[in-house]
Amino acid sequence: MRDKTSGRTIFAFIGPSVIALALIGIAPLLYAAWTSLHFFNLTRLRQLRFVGLENYQTVLTDTAFWQAMGRTFFLLGTSLPLQLALGLGIALVLHQPGLTVVKTLCRLSLVLPMATTYAVVGLLGQVMFNQNFGVVNQLLGGADINWIGDPTNAFVMIIFWDVWQWTPFVALVLLAGLTMVPNEVEEAARLETKSWWVILRHVQLPFLVPGLVAVLILRTADTLKLFDMVFTLTRGGPGASTEFISLMIQRVGFRAFDQGLASAQAIILLAITIVLAQIYIRVFYKEV
Amino acid sequence: MTPANRSYAIQIALLAVIILVCVFPFYWMVTTSLKTQVVALQSPPVWTFQPTLDNYRVALFEDGVLRTLINSLVIAVCTTALALVLGVPAAFALARFDFRGKKDLWFWFITNRMVSPIVLALPFFLIARNFGMLDKHITLILIYLTFNLPIVIWIVTDQFRGIPYELDEAARMEGATQFTIMRKICLPLAMPGVAVSAIFSFIFSWNELMFGLVLTRSDARTAPAMAVSFMEGYNLPYGKIMATSTLIVIPVLIFALIASKQLVRGLTMGAVK
Amino acid sequence: MNLKSMLCTTALVAAAATAANAQSDWSLSEAAAPYAGTTIDVVFLLRPGYEAIKEMLPEFTEATGINVNIIDHPYENALGEQVRDFVAGGDLDIALIDLVWIGNFAENEWIVPVDDIMAKFPELVDPDLNMDDFFPLVLNAFGGWNDTIYGLPFDNYSGLMFYNRCMLEEAGFDGPPETWAELKDVYGPALTGDGKYAFALQSKRNETQSADSFARMLWPFGGSFLDENFRSNLLSEESQAGLNFRQDLMQYMPDGIVAWDHAETVNGFAQGDVAMITEWSSFYSSVVDPDTSRVTDCVGIAPEPAGPAGRRPALGGFSLAVASQADEAEQAAAWLFIQWATSADNAVEYLERGGVPARQSAYDDPALAETYTFIPALLESWAEGVPEFRPRFAEWPEISEVVQEWGTRMMLGEVSVEEGAREIGTRMEAILEASGYYDGDRPLVQ
Repeated sequence: MRDKTSGRTIFAFIGPSVIALALIGIAPLLYAAWTSLHFFNLTRLRQLRFVGLENYQTVLTDTAFWQAMGRTFFLLGTSLPLQLALGLGIALVLHQPGLTVVKTLCRLSLVLPMATTYAVVGLLGQVMFNQNFGVVNQLLGGADINWIGDPTNAFVMIIFWDVWQWTPFVALVLLAGLTMVPNEVEEAARLETKSWWVILRHVQLPFLVPGLVAVLILRTADTLKLFDMVFTLTRGGPGASTEFISLMIQRVGFRAFDQGLASAQAIILLAITIVLAQIYIRVFYKEV
Repeated sequence: MTPANRSYAIQIALLAVIILVCVFPFYWMVTTSLKTQVVALQSPPVWTFQPTLDNYRVALFEDGVLRTLINSLVIAVCTTALALVLGVPAAFALARFDFRGKKDLWFWFITNRMVSPIVLALPFFLIARNFGMLDKHITLILIYLTFNLPIVIWIVTDQFRGIPYELDEAARMEGATQFTIMRKICLPLAMPGVAVSAIFSFIFSWNELMFGLVLTRSDARTAPAMAVSFMEGYNLPYGKIMATSTLIVIPVLIFALIASKQLVRGLTMGAVK
Repeated sequence: MNLKSMLCTTALVAAAATAANAQSDWSLSEAAAPYAGTTIDVVFLLRPGYEAIKEMLPEFTEATGINVNIIDHPYENALGEQVRDFVAGGDLDIALIDLVWIGNFAENEWIVPVDDIMAKFPELVDPDLNMDDFFPLVLNAFGGWNDTIYGLPFDNYSGLMFYNRCMLEEAGFDGPPETWAELKDVYGPALTGDGKYAFALQSKRNETQSADSFARMLWPFGGSFLDENFRSNLLSEESQAGLNFRQDLMQYMPDGIVAWDHAETVNGFAQGDVAMITEWSSFYSSVVDPDTSRVTDCVGIAPEPAGPAGRRPALGGFSLAVASQADEAEQAAAWLFIQWATSADNAVEYLERGGVPARQSAYDDPALAETYTFIPALLESWAEGVPEFRPRFAEWPEISEVVQEWGTRMMLGEVSVEEGAREIGTRMEAILEASGYYDGDRPLVQ
């Protein structure tokens, strides 16, 4: 049993980071909570006034807000399964024995998409998916697909880039899980059956679960945060077809300058994030 | 063809496709950055052309991308260092000490990683405005702690927990303080985790856009914010945009490749327990 | 708004200032001497009119010793950047004001009226300033708010019709359409097909949608955003006619027009894929430049087509005003810069370098119209424009966001024209309601 450390010592270790994060992370939230109760428009600060829960009422009854929220989860629901399927496939291929050099090369190239600046991914998307001078249409055999200007295609394009950037992450996490399987267990199983599915399901899966959980948590959080890539690629358009929740809040707060309403939206988003994080972490991560 | 050979052939084909898909966008980015405006806008796009470095000259020296790259570097290095100085002791405490509310505290730290920057960007802008802190490096260095501290704490706590407690005990017998134990005994052993979290902090900070967009204007403007500012609806300077993108991405890619071993380990640390 | 009285007071102050300076021969260098070494900060856009002034700037710095620190931003970020700077009491010394931002900047008192500056620094007023030389519509719309002039017109546009003479001739037309109806019913079918389109209307979901696309189709048909009580006028027969016309016209436009910004539209025209566009005068230089255009020999320019309510071309442009947050030396230096950049003396050089000055005297020389073929159409448009083409009050940025969202959804067919117009109307009225326009507290000024 560990002995009790004095409160002062504990504080000396943990205090600075708690204070720092409280000042930087919580103070703004309190301020946002205050702002959300006011009519607070940056271009009309003279009309600043307390309005109670009016902003919240506006948000909760605003179909556009919930559509953006739904769109965000729809993106998660479509791109995450793709990332999991492709990522698992890549991990299984890389896990095969042999071909060391090519596989090292492959692992290295998987690192690249993850490290790429998200804003640059969007800019790159604009160049590559342009209807007239984009290379994607050329590679599709001179297709004349209007990617950026069509609501469905634009959404597909966002999914493509999300999958491109984050499948490697899933693949590498799952590959790490596969390497945790003790060799003798895997070899014994291979003698029993030739079916890769049986091996995956009964031998490898248990070792993959922690990684899958982490992927689920991080991808959910990152989809709710998704901003940079879409901002530079479609800015939420055409129409509202790619306006995800973070883009919408940015638009209300910094383009329509309605900080009160945007704060209310942000607080609601925060509440949803915390609830999800609670569920995920409490359910899947046990003890600290 | 024997079955083994066929399996190798299929594998090689698959691996080639994976590598190609990962690398091709970068190839296209770099080649576009070497095209003149007229060539970049040709339809269908051309694959061979007379390359020019003009876009880089204009971006670096006329449009001031160089200065924003330096800003990004300064900010990313400082915030990473600060996150380590604050986060490592906290991680040690979470791994080694027992106290009330420890679980909630850990949870709170980690939750910060999940919060959308837009939630903080709005109020942080208003607060920074009140303190005259807009367009200053220090403002970004501090706000980036909101995602860097959780990373450091998450990964390094795990790492500390993996170090046998007996080592601490032995040192304590000899009268070492907790601080000495952390610094002399545990930190050297936890170095891989610290390195990994530093790499992550650096990459996330370097790539960050929204805070950079909202909280800076000229003096502290970061490179991603700069790249976005060429998107005037009036013309399509794609060559210049891709040149700037290349300048932003290449350093972080090289860094990521050099550190790729640690990076992959880091992914699995938080993930596989 | 009483334009005449406003111009009169300004003229009076200018005259008084001129009298004060009459004895001593006024020179820019001498006036600027006390402020040499001052640095002033201003936001510029990445557009031809700004490049022109940048090229001329060394001249100013040499004469005055005043440094101008230019911060480039794309149009879509320029308002946000400036609002944040002014709200924060930042360091911008000059405001760059799009005509739709003027109410916003003026009501927040972020900018100083020209009269106040003249009264404060009489010795800095150029005797040749001559406010009457600015096109009245332009000065009033770009620089004036509520009977006060704040900014001097700097980067000036009118909507023009650019047409590809060669394509039109090939289809048997010897000139551009006179009316919107003619454009759609006669030119539309004849010029669309084989990957070519008769018309392209830039409609991307940003200010382009509300200004270039939505508003452009309201006015010629007699519609408008607001009626005289500041209630939505979008469901009126005229407004609906205009919006339905736009929807109908889309069959002669390229697919994905809702994602086309100025750049794509001008490029479509410059590549010879689109026969006609209605675009800002400032694009003249890019459609006649062989580096960016393949149709340089075919470019024709006319005023925008007329609708049932007459010719109502799009009006847009920027003025420069002195920021109230600047200190005294910065204000003085800022005024000197603004006065210099918009002066009649520099107007022709500005034009030759790719800018569009708002000085009537600059267009006196008939030879210019031969080189710059857009000039006659521009002058005609400035004679007929509507200043409140888009309302210029402080609420516009918010309303514009609403128009951008529902305007594009309307074009995509996600909502009907009527539903979309109703949605915009409801949301627009809610914004105006919150601002107190319906309590009688605020004058109905747009």
